[in-house]
Amino acid sequence: MSLYQESRDGVVAEPTGEVLVEVDDLKTYYGSEGGLLGGNPVKAVDGVSFDIHRGETLGLVGESGCGKSTLGRTLMQLESATAGEVRYDGTDITTLSGKELKEWRQNVQMVFQDPDGSLNDRMTVGEIIKEPLNVHNWKTPTERRQRARELLDIVGLKEDHYYRYPFQFSGGQRQRVGIARALALEPDFLVLDEPVSALDVSVQAKILNLLNDLQEEFGLTYLIIAHDLSVVEHICDRVAVMYLGNIMELGPTDAIFDEPANPYTNSLLSAIPEPDPTLEKSRMTLRGTPPSPRDPPSGCVFSTRCPLKIRPEQYEDLDDDVWEGIEIFRAVLRDRGDLSKSVRQRLRDLLGLETRGMDIEEVLEESFGELDVPSDVQQHIDSAVEHVRRDDLQSAQEELETEFGSVCEQEVPENLPVGDTGRTSHCHRHRDEHEGTLDYIESHGYER
Amino acid sequence: MAVLVIVEFGALWGGIMALPWDTPMGLLTGVLPGAIGGAVAGIASVFADAGAWLADLPTLLSREWIPNQGHRVPGGGWEGTFLGLEPAYAWVIRVAVVYAYAMFTFYWVWRGYMVFRRHYRYADWTPADDMIDRFRGHNWGKFGLVLVMAFVVMAMFAPTISPTTQEQNIMDPYSHNIEYYNDDAGQVMETSVGQANLLSSSKGVQRNFGLWSYDEYDRFHPTGTFTNGKDMFTLTAYGARISLFIGVFASALAGGIALSLALLTAYYKGIVDLATVVASDAFMAMPRLLVLIMLVTVLADHWVANIYSGGFIIAFLFGIWGWMGLWRAVRGPAFQIVENEWVMASKGFGERPWRIVKKHVAPYVIGYLLIYLSMSLGGYIIGAAGLAFLGLGVTAPTPEMGRLIAAGQSLVTTQSWHISIIPGLMISALVLGFNALGDGIRDAIDPKTGGDDAAGEAAAAGGGG
Ligand code: SF4
Repeated sequence: MSLYQESRDGVVAEPTGEVLVEVDDLKTYYGSEGGLLGGNPVKAVDGVSFDIHRGETLGLVGESGCGKSTLGRTLMQLESATAGEVRYDGTDITTLSGKELKEWRQNVQMVFQDPDGSLNDRMTVGEIIKEPLNVHNWKTPTERRQRARELLDIVGLKEDHYYRYPFQFSGGQRQRVGIARALALEPDFLVLDEPVSALDVSVQAKILNLLNDLQEEFGLTYLIIAHDLSVVEHICDRVAVMYLGNIMELGPTDAIFDEPANPYTNSLLSAIPEPDPTLEKSRMTLRGTPPSPRDPPSGCVFSTRCPLKIRPEQYEDLDDDVWEGIEIFRAVLRDRGDLSKSVRQRLRDLLGLETRGMDIEEVLEESFGELDVPSDVQQHIDSAVEHVRRDDLQSAQEELETEFGSVCEQEVPENLPVGDTGRTSHCHRHRDEHEGTLDYIESHGYER
Repeated sequence: MAVLVIVEFGALWGGIMALPWDTPMGLLTGVLPGAIGGAVAGIASVFADAGAWLADLPTLLSREWIPNQGHRVPGGGWEGTFLGLEPAYAWVIRVAVVYAYAMFTFYWVWRGYMVFRRHYRYADWTPADDMIDRFRGHNWGKFGLVLVMAFVVMAMFAPTISPTTQEQNIMDPYSHNIEYYNDDAGQVMETSVGQANLLSSSKGVQRNFGLWSYDEYDRFHPTGTFTNGKDMFTLTAYGARISLFIGVFASALAGGIALSLALLTAYYKGIVDLATVVASDAFMAMPRLLVLIMLVTVLADHWVANIYSGGFIIAFLFGIWGWMGLWRAVRGPAFQIVENEWVMASKGFGERPWRIVKKHVAPYVIGYLLIYLSMSLGGYIIGAAGLAFLGLGVTAPTPEMGRLIAAGQSLVTTQSWHISIIPGLMISALVLGFNALGDGIRDAIDPKTGGDDAAGEAAAAGGGG
């Protein structure tokens, strides 16, 4: 940890405040066009906007599958954007093609997560590092060789490693080769896709230090994609937290880690094990897995799992456990509803066979157990159960939605400013009429 | 090298001239407007003449220098053979000289390369060096190379190493006469080759001239005679030319198509892949044999049917109908390899798609392809034989391995077993050779098989973590 700490102190002074990359309502969808089966496209990135300043390190965190890698690749123009703009130094790069695109590529390079998969084992390290130079016809072949040797030195390898093959190196060394290759064309901006997550912890610190040194030496701007929060905490100037194609919270690293504003950030940080196990705390555990990006929830994308979801007025004071039970119950129904849509299930329905057996009693037991459910709540649940028994999941869901649904499920939240550090958070709770996240956490006995 | 080439220039040139040059030339003159066509034809004929003249130059390894065709003289001894030796010895010496020459040339080229690499080349190291060095350490691959080279030398020097010549023995036996010593008459007599062949045939029980035998006309047959009395060795040596051509050309064509399609489909996926699947199914759905028979018949009078006595069209059709299986076999690996991040990385600094697949995907796919190719190569040769058996493709009297095998099949259990077995063994050896060579090449292009891994890793470990 102290190694990381050191590196962050070095970086913080760097950023100049000048905007290098501007991302504006960027969307990247897959499979919408030409898919034989039709259906919804995968909304990997669904309308994100942010800036990256020259010389800073922006971290992009989120669970796997949240779209952070796709976002990184869209910034590199390795995926084409469905909508929105990415302006690099003022030019919209999503419209570049052919020669211009190739020219532009010199400015932006990528370091990949898996050092095994990102280096071609049939080529020597020297060839690998020289490859971008060859592609762009950089100077003469002799100078390219010279440059490759120089780069090996810069990333802390030996010059005679030039003739070695990648498989002869350890993971950390390979990652250094990958970094050398990324630096070959003297880019300004590096996208680092999980640069250390495949490495041993001791090696991770070394690579992060190297990245930090390189940033200072060459004035680089980094976008670091990671799922490991500790890495991000100690190397990034600012952090963007991503969930299901949306940026939930974006702000200075200290602010976000010390006082997360967005419910999703809270739950993510809450999942980090406490160094002191004696500290008893009630964690904000995340239920289940993220919903499919093909069919994201309406309103706030986090609304299906959010522990801090805004409640309808009349349930403001409902017992937390009962509320939790309602949420679980709804989640299960949603899940089953999803399943019933499968082709096989539809076929079965057509053939008049019995549909997937739903033991609703079990679901109820699981959700509410021994809880003392108030009668007004019970009434709605009973009615939903009635619908389920009649195999009418749709109505059951609708019933619960109208009763227990809130603004979180009806409206897409805006990116609202939090504090005075330029932080924004994608959540209705920052609006004046709702209880703020911190207040809610305190009043409901969560700790983080 | 100059000396080596000069002494053999005639023979090499003869080999090159033996390739079917005049057919495309004739076609070219046909399509060009009269005046230009005439000029081109004129120029071409000058070249053809020059070529023929060059091919006629005396060479070190010409059969005339070490003749093995002669006849006994009354009172023992031989006339017309090299130093009056027995024809068998004269022939062995000539074959030995040819192979010695080939080996020496190969060695010379190899040494030349090593000297160039060490002293003259600007770059002190290139990746190809590693591949060559890995191949040098691959005994199985080297064995394959030797087998294939031996076969190539035989095909190339077929006119020189055959005990008799193609014109005399195979194409036009009745226009050539030979002298021989007639035991009954006690004197040297003359007869036509055709006549002599009639009485020298191998037909099992009634008459047989097997391995290492002389016929009644003082002619030496290292591997016996054919069912019509022609010399087996001459037939096999010339047959090796055509069989080698068919096997290599068809494999190269099928392999080339399969590789390009695999790279294309793996890189672009989706609709391109689907189209290729459909195309390959369409090709597979056509009964290959019937289509081949039909095309060969339809094209019988076309000029392509004459290239290489019909060998070209057979090889071409085999190639065109051979890629589907190969493509299916390498499609999966190609799809996997394209998923590697190094392909993405290459895209990231703006490499062109064709160069990406060539550098980052093809070397891996070729490894798989070589295995399948070396298996199918023998199939093409045998397949051509099958067609010849049906009277299609390479037709008599042009010698072709497959036809030899087919002709000898019914005699395998008799004394004349050599008719099928000798060409059969040669094809097996060739296939084995290509198999081993393919293995060697596959391992040579994969750095992970290098023998010095441990040393390499130890050396690499010196750098930063
Ligand atoms: S908008 Fe609602 S559901 Fe979304 S994060 Fe905020 S509180 Fe949770």
